[in-house]
Amino acid sequence: MWDSIQSVFQPTTSPPQLYRNLAVALIGSFVLLALLHRFLGPRGRRWLIAFVTFVGGLYLGLEYFLPVRTAVLWPTAIPNPNPDRGANLLTPGIEPVGIMMSVIGAFTVGLGIYSLCQVHGRSLGQRRPGWHNSLAFFLAMVAMLVFGFWAHYLPKVDEASAVMPVPRAIYEMLFSGLFMPLQAATFSLLAFYIASAAYRAFRIRTAEAGLMMAAAFIVMIGQVPVGAWVTSGLPTTGALAFFRLEALGEWIMTWLNAPAQRGIVFGVAIGGLAMSLRIWLSLERGTFFSEQG
Amino acid sequence: MAEPRAGFWQRLQQIPRYYVYLLMAAVVIWQILFPIPLPIAPSSATQGVYDAISAVPDDKLILISTDWDASTNAETGPQTEAIVHACLQNDKRFAIMNLHPPMGVKLANDIAEQVAEQYGAEYGVDWCNWGYKYGFANVLIAMAKNIPKTIGDDFYGTPVAELSMMQGVEDIESIGLVIEITGLATITETWIGLIQGVYGTPFASAYTAVMAPGYYPFLDSGQMQGMLVGAKGAAEMEALVTRPAKASVIMNVQSWAHVLIILLIVIGNLGFVLARGPRGQGAP
Repeated sequence: MWDSIQSVFQPTTSPPQLYRNLAVALIGSFVLLALLHRFLGPRGRRWLIAFVTFVGGLYLGLEYFLPVRTAVLWPTAIPNPNPDRGANLLTPGIEPVGIMMSVIGAFTVGLGIYSLCQVHGRSLGQRRPGWHNSLAFFLAMVAMLVFGFWAHYLPKVDEASAVMPVPRAIYEMLFSGLFMPLQAATFSLLAFYIASAAYRAFRIRTAEAGLMMAAAFIVMIGQVPVGAWVTSGLPTTGALAFFRLEALGEWIMTWLNAPAQRGIVFGVAIGGLAMSLRIWLSLERGTFFSEQG
Repeated sequence: MAEPRAGFWQRLQQIPRYYVYLLMAAVVIWQILFPIPLPIAPSSATQGVYDAISAVPDDKLILISTDWDASTNAETGPQTEAIVHACLQNDKRFAIMNLHPPMGVKLANDIAEQVAEQYGAEYGVDWCNWGYKYGFANVLIAMAKNIPKTIGDDFYGTPVAELSMMQGVEDIESIGLVIEITGLATITETWIGLIQGVYGTPFASAYTAVMAPGYYPFLDSGQMQGMLVGAKGAAEMEALVTRPAKASVIMNVQSWAHVLIILLIVIGNLGFVLARGPRGQGAP
C-alpha cells in the first residue's frame, strides 16, 4: 500500500500518461472544489481550512522533531529508503508533501497574473488616469511571455556554429537589454536620494545623535578602501593597529552591532514562534476568515 | 552685520537637491573615468569564505544559491563572479541554484558561463545549474533527503541525474559547502534553520552592504564560515583570487561617494550649529 501511495507522486516520463494525469488532477480538483463550495457553509469551510492547516503543521513539525532509527518509529513493514541516514516514519512523505506544496504555491502565480490582468484590464477599458501604464504592463507581459516561451522551446542548436535565432535574440534584448538596466537604474537612484536625505536630515541635535554620527562616519569610511588609505600610516600589528579605520569599523560591526542584532534576532524568533503557533492553531482568524463574516 | 551671516549659515543647510545630485553624479563619473587606485585588504569575513571554499573535500560539491536580481547586480553580480573564480581556481565543482527571485538563475548562469570559459571548465563536469526551484523551504527540506529527485531538471531542461558531475550525488551529505548570495532577508535563516543547523553543512554567504549588519551574529556564532559584505566583500574576494574586476572599480566610486556624503553631512551640521549662534539663537 505504501508503495502505491508513493508511486502517485513519482514523476512520469510518458507524455500520454502525463497529460492523462494532468487532466484527471485538474478535473478532479475542480469537481472537489465545486462540491465543497456547494455543500459546505462558511462554518464548515472554516473548520476544513483549520483542520488542513493543523494537520499540515503537525506533520512537518513531527517529521522534524521525531527521533530517527527506532523500531517504534520505523516499523519493519515499511521500507526505509535511506537506512544509513536520519529518517523516521514520516520522512518518506516529505518529498511528496514538498511537491504538493510547491504545486499549490505555483497556482498562486496564476492567481497573481489573473489579478493583475483584472486590475489593469479594468483601468485600460475605462480609460482611467494612468491607463497608459496598464497598456505598458500588457505589452511587456505579452512580449516576455511570447518570446520567453518561444526561445525556450526552440530546438537546441550547436551554439558554436549557429547564429542566435530571432526569438532568442529578441528575448535577450528584452531581458538583458531592457529589463535588467531598468531595474538596476531604479535601484541605483538610491545613491542620489541617500546623499540628499543624509545632508538634509542628519543633524546633531543631541549627544546620542553625535555618537551615532561618529559611529556612522567610522563605519562608512572604514568599509571602503579610502579608510584604509587614510590611516595607512598606522602599524598593522600592535596596539595602534586598532586605530586603523578599517579595524575600528570592523570592531563596531562585530562588538557593538552584532550583540544588538543578536538581541533583535532572538526577539523576532520568539515573536515568529508565537505567530506560527497562532496560525497553526487557526487562532489568527483575521488573516483567513475576516472576509467571510 | 549679524543678519547676512545667519543667512549664509542658513543657506548652507539648504543646498538645493539638484546640486547634491549633480555632485554625486560628478564623483561617480570622475571615479569611473579616472580611478584613483586604493589598497584593498581582505577582511577576516571574506577570508573565511575563501578558506571555506578551499576546504571543501574533492568528492563534494559547492552549492551556490544565487537569490538576487538586477536591482542588486552591482554588488551581488561581482560577488558571484569572484566566488565562481575562487571555486574554479581551487578545482572545486559547483552547482548554481535559485530559490527567489527567479531571474537570478539566468544572471548567475551568464556569469558562470563567462568565468568557466576562462578556465576551460565544462558544463556538467565542473559546474552545473540546477535552475530556479519554486517552493523555498519545501525545496530545502526535500533536497536534504534526495537531491536528484527534488531538483529534477537543470537550467537547460536536462535531468540533473544525467550530468556526469552529479553521479554519486544523493542528498545533502554530498554538499561540502552552501554559499548563499542574496539581497533578500530571511533566506539565510531558512538555510541555517533547515540545512546548516540540522545537517551541519558548512555555510557561507554574500550580502548587499545594507543587509549585512544583521547577519554578523551568525558569523560570530560560527554558523557561518564567512561573509562577503557588499561590493567591498566582492572586491576583497577579487583581490584574493587575483582577478581585480568590476567590484574593484565600484569600490573606488563608493569610497569617494562616501567621502562626499560625509562632507555634505558635515557642511549641513556646520550650518546648523553656526546659524544657532553661541547661545542657540536662530535655531530652525
